[in-house]
Amino acid sequence: MRRLILLLLLAWTPWAAALEVVATTASMGMLARVVGGAAVRVVELAPPDRDAHHLQVKPSMMRALRDADLVVAVGADLEVGWLPAALSGAANARVMPGRPGYFEAAAHVALLEAGAAADRSQGDVHPAGNPHFHLDPGRMATVAQALAERMARLDAFHAASYRQNAEAFAQEVARRTPLWRQKAASAAGAVTYHKDAVYLLAFLQRPHLGTLEPLPGIAPSASHLESLATTLKGKEGVIIHTPYQPSAGAEKLAALTGLRVARLPIEPPAGSTAAEYFALIDRWVEVLAQTR
Amino acid sequence: MRNPLAAGLAFACFAYPAFAQEDMRALREEIAQLRKAYEERIAMLEARLRAAEEKGMARKAPEPASPAAASAFNPNVSLILDGVYFHDNRGGRSASLYASIDGAHHAHDEHARALERGFDLRTTELVLSAAVSPHFDAAAKLGIERKGEVTLEEAYFETRSLPAGFKLRAGKFLSGIGYLNAQHPHQWDFVDQNLPYQTLLGEHGLTDTGLRVVWTPKTGSWYTQFGVEWLQGQEQAFATSGLTTPNARADGQPLAPTAAGQLSAQKGGPRLWTLYAKFAPDLGTRHALQWGGWLARARQHQEVHDHTAEDPASLVHALEGKARAWGLDAVYRYDADGYGGQGNLKFVAEYLRVSKDLRIAFHEDGALLGQPRDFVQDGAVIQATYGVLPYWRIGLRYDALGLTKNEVRGPSGRLQEWRRSDRWTWALTREIDHFSRLRLQLSRAHLWVDGVREKANQLFLQYQLSLGAHGAHAF
Repeated sequence: MRRLILLLLLAWTPWAAALEVVATTASMGMLARVVGGAAVRVVELAPPDRDAHHLQVKPSMMRALRDADLVVAVGADLEVGWLPAALSGAANARVMPGRPGYFEAAAHVALLEAGAAADRSQGDVHPAGNPHFHLDPGRMATVAQALAERMARLDAFHAASYRQNAEAFAQEVARRTPLWRQKAASAAGAVTYHKDAVYLLAFLQRPHLGTLEPLPGIAPSASHLESLATTLKGKEGVIIHTPYQPSAGAEKLAALTGLRVARLPIEPPAGSTAAEYFALIDRWVEVLAQTR
Repeated sequence: MRNPLAAGLAFACFAYPAFAQEDMRALREEIAQLRKAYEERIAMLEARLRAAEEKGMARKAPEPASPAAASAFNPNVSLILDGVYFHDNRGGRSASLYASIDGAHHAHDEHARALERGFDLRTTELVLSAAVSPHFDAAAKLGIERKGEVTLEEAYFETRSLPAGFKLRAGKFLSGIGYLNAQHPHQWDFVDQNLPYQTLLGEHGLTDTGLRVVWTPKTGSWYTQFGVEWLQGQEQAFATSGLTTPNARADGQPLAPTAAGQLSAQKGGPRLWTLYAKFAPDLGTRHALQWGGWLARARQHQEVHDHTAEDPASLVHALEGKARAWGLDAVYRYDADGYGGQGNLKFVAEYLRVSKDLRIAFHEDGALLGQPRDFVQDGAVIQATYGVLPYWRIGLRYDALGLTKNEVRGPSGRLQEWRRSDRWTWALTREIDHFSRLRLQLSRAHLWVDGVREKANQLFLQYQLSLGAHGAHAF
């Protein structure tokens, strides 16, 4: 009898100890899944085909956050329009900013464009820096390791496995990095709709040729596209926009410059693991490499 | 290095004309090569620097002390600018018609906001908010009127570390009843407050000083919230106290010799409490639905009726007793995933009812003293907004006061019944960007004022700009 109880307890403990993780985006969900493995359950708030800047708070978000042990957010103001309100409505003290249950990925990596003046005449700028670092596998590996430490703090029982998983992810990124860079070596660079792929281009050491938006968060204007076309004259490259960004601006620029337009998802599919994330990077590298 | 070289070149050309063409080209090429080599080296150094930075970050990555952004600005400051161009069909008097709609509510003419035809500034909102410590959030909202008068609209703190889904809020705040009550004017989908709120709760809805406890239990796939509030009930439409017994008439005449009775002293607070609940099923990423219901009770309510200035034949009297109110609300939102909010739909419906069980505490005709006066009045608002084009939204609202009940009853039945006043409103909102919007609003109301059906058509052209930190809006 005693043995049975012990056995039951053993079988039950890891499951009961499963961390309830709420990730704000699909890529953060991927990291949580990769690092947490079987010891966590992950819910993602923003669907991968949506612009994470502009979500509306919904009761379903508050419900998910109410039950969470850990929130994995991108941070750097990306979710500023909805996450604070959702957290407030969730009334879950464990995941409030400043608590161990609130993990902000942006706090663990150096951000590009950090320290820009918070001058809104320059568009919807984030003084904390550009928050779209999730397409940079190098930074994601760094975040994975920080996340492993955080999960270890919340759930010491699985600490070793969290660290191992993060390390494995980092090693896989390190293994693939030269391959990606080699493949992209000939790429001429890219024009993007928003400044959301700059990290990937920097990671691949390829130039970012400009954005269709004249200013962050401001829709493309004809005059901006024309001046962009002038600077791109004679250059090679590809124009990339995500499914949630309208294609009109990209097509207009393509007509003016003769550059190719590609529509690429910026987030891995919902419920992704490392494989889907690497496939996403592969796809971007592929498209960039085809520019010549 | 560019300038000396160029200068040298110029000198060379000047000094040795024969040197020219061929050598110049060679020199130019050399310069171009040099420049290219330097640029490549700089790019390489930059890449190395970046890699080194990342490495540095990676080394110190485990557990940095504070999040990057969530605490970056302390406190968050935001300012909302709000202005209108206004026109109506009543020579600018439509606002006073709205302030004197017939009904069981006690019109507070002095609170009516005058609206002149032409340009007008609406309340400028200044909001300061921050986490005080790991245990408290706090916020203060100041409303600055056109003439510089400042009102403290909200000032409260809220706990952020209570366990089991509890939150406590204390100070002055917008009550959590209904769906629209907790929204600030810059969150409204229309320029003005809806009729039942404006009349039954007040221009800003129910705002009072007190304490709130909110509980968000774990309820599986449903979101559930319960709230209870203890409020002072100082100057609410159905919770007013501390009035003095009339000792003069507004028309300057002395009180009738038959006057008798007096208002009782103000009871100690809190005199108003509310109870509310909200339920929301999880309908996936596109749909959101929430139902709510609320109750409110005031244990003291006083009214002084003195209409002698308009009607010298009327008698001054004062009523007191208890009041209660309840309401139901439903919200549905469809998130179409369109660019610039295109295709998004939001539908809000609210019903509310106020009952006041009062007695005559003072009357110029002392014989009526002690008689009951039971007032009942209800109202409803139904509104919808739809994103017709990217960044363009249309809104339609129907609101009515005295929807099914609008009466006062005495000891032997109904004393008076008032008619239903209602309004249709149409609004077109253009979101210029995330921080600025323009709105055109047209409304057509049929208001009953002193037993006459008045038509009031209003036109607003509104701008709203938000400066500084723009906090997230609750559902």
